[in-house]
Amino acid sequence: MSSKVQTPKIDYGDANVIRDEDRTNPVAVRFDRVRKTYKLFKSDKQRLAATFSRRIKYDLINASDDLTFTCKRGEALAFLGDNGAGKSTALKMITGVCFPTSGTIEVHGRVSALLELSAGFDMRLSGMENIRMRCQLWGLSEEEAEELIPSIVEFSELGKYIEQPMRTYSSGMRARLGFAFASSIKPDILVVDEALSVGDRKFSAKCRKRVSDIMKNENVTVLFVTHSTSQAKEFCTRGIVLSHGKTMFEGPIEDAVAFYENS
Amino acid sequence: MFGTLKQILTENWQWRHQIWDLAKFDLIKTYRGAALGKVWLFTKPAVYILVYWFTLSVGMRHSSDINGQPFLLWLAAGVFPWFFMSDAINTGSDVYHRYGYLVNRIKFPLSVISTFYTLSLLIIFACTMLFTILVCLLTGVRLSIYILQLPLVMAIMFVFWTAWSVMLSPLGAVSKDFANLIKTLSTPFFWLSGVLFQLTSLPHIAQRIMAFNPVAWCCDAVRSCFVYDKWIWSDPKELLPFLFTFLAVVVLALCSYKKLYKEVPDVL
Repeated sequence: MSSKVQTPKIDYGDANVIRDEDRTNPVAVRFDRVRKTYKLFKSDKQRLAATFSRRIKYDLINASDDLTFTCKRGEALAFLGDNGAGKSTALKMITGVCFPTSGTIEVHGRVSALLELSAGFDMRLSGMENIRMRCQLWGLSEEEAEELIPSIVEFSELGKYIEQPMRTYSSGMRARLGFAFASSIKPDILVVDEALSVGDRKFSAKCRKRVSDIMKNENVTVLFVTHSTSQAKEFCTRGIVLSHGKTMFEGPIEDAVAFYENS
Repeated sequence: MFGTLKQILTENWQWRHQIWDLAKFDLIKTYRGAALGKVWLFTKPAVYILVYWFTLSVGMRHSSDINGQPFLLWLAAGVFPWFFMSDAINTGSDVYHRYGYLVNRIKFPLSVISTFYTLSLLIIFACTMLFTILVCLLTGVRLSIYILQLPLVMAIMFVFWTAWSVMLSPLGAVSKDFANLIKTLSTPFFWLSGVLFQLTSLPHIAQRIMAFNPVAWCCDAVRSCFVYDKWIWSDPKELLPFLFTFLAVVVLALCSYKKLYKEVPDVL
């Protein structure tokens, strides 16, 4: 059922991905020499041809290059870096929506991710239907879902809009619902990609409060991607500075912020 | 290759509880936004059947009873499966674009997307088949013992068109051209596969070739249940070529999935 029973070890060519639900493991996330290579083709036609022939030429770009770090259970880790530094790629690999080209990734615990604002909603379903669907995908039983849904709706402040199709929502409304869901389902690992900067000031404050409440629970690990060094300082204890897919600095958040701002 | 088969089966088994719900959500999505909602489920097929019936029997004067069964039943037993297959060809071949957010926003196994989409098509197909049986019972059309093989035929169609979707969707995700090519092929499939004519009226050589065409086999199999009164395994000349196609599609599906499933989230 859903990701609760996952194959512990899957071999992706040169890459290893180890995922389990072991929330007692002191390590939450570990990257060991992880490389993610994107193939760049001149056109879609070339990309299609390349699946049938080895002779097609393409460029390679390393979004993550030899990335190594360890994130302990209960830690709040910030990824700092400019656009294109490979922060989002790293988070996507943790979430499991994209696969490393080589290296080893270990993830222990269930990951709830907020990747970009609309975070996996179906625009043609209503907000309520989306929430129900996501609860099922997360592996909640009907009763558990019924219990959780009112609090999600309340937190999102959508009111009557919750029964309207998602495509009629503004980006702020989508983000609110996305954040309400991702933060309500009690994940072991919460992945947040540039999400707290959305919505008006009041909602943003509410989100920050929710994240700090989650962080008070010592067993929840939070991975945080942001450009905003002040938010990173507010929430995180440790920081990693990335540049061109490589780790430039890893250490306490103050030092990481100082390193990032000076680089 | 067996590794990939095992992987796909494991994925589908692990997510078996969600597959049914996702299929239901797909139906909601398709028929939502229309005031009449579920009525469209029946309106569209009914209108098409009437139009075909008008063209063939009133316009072209080409409608005699077939094997003692009404022409309209023969037509319905071919056109309803065609609706299922037409969606499987048009949307099923490029299903990752329909569910982009399951590919690269949520961790979700790609092969399961094909499964639940085909299941949602199968639910509609089952409704139209029940409707056909009900009309037969109400109008006193004789149904034979051969109707009992209908669930088997539907199960085979479900597996075949799911494998079809697993085979083509990764290619469709990689290249929009490919997705369009398959969509373009859907109309020729319709006119060449004997949805609207009896395959036995074709020249012998064409019949032998047509036996490899899965659309033709599926229409014929459903008609075997309602009209032709024969078991689908009774004629090896029909069954074996289809089994060959079936096996080829499964093998190609495994190759295509193995090669591309890691690449799909990067390109979609």
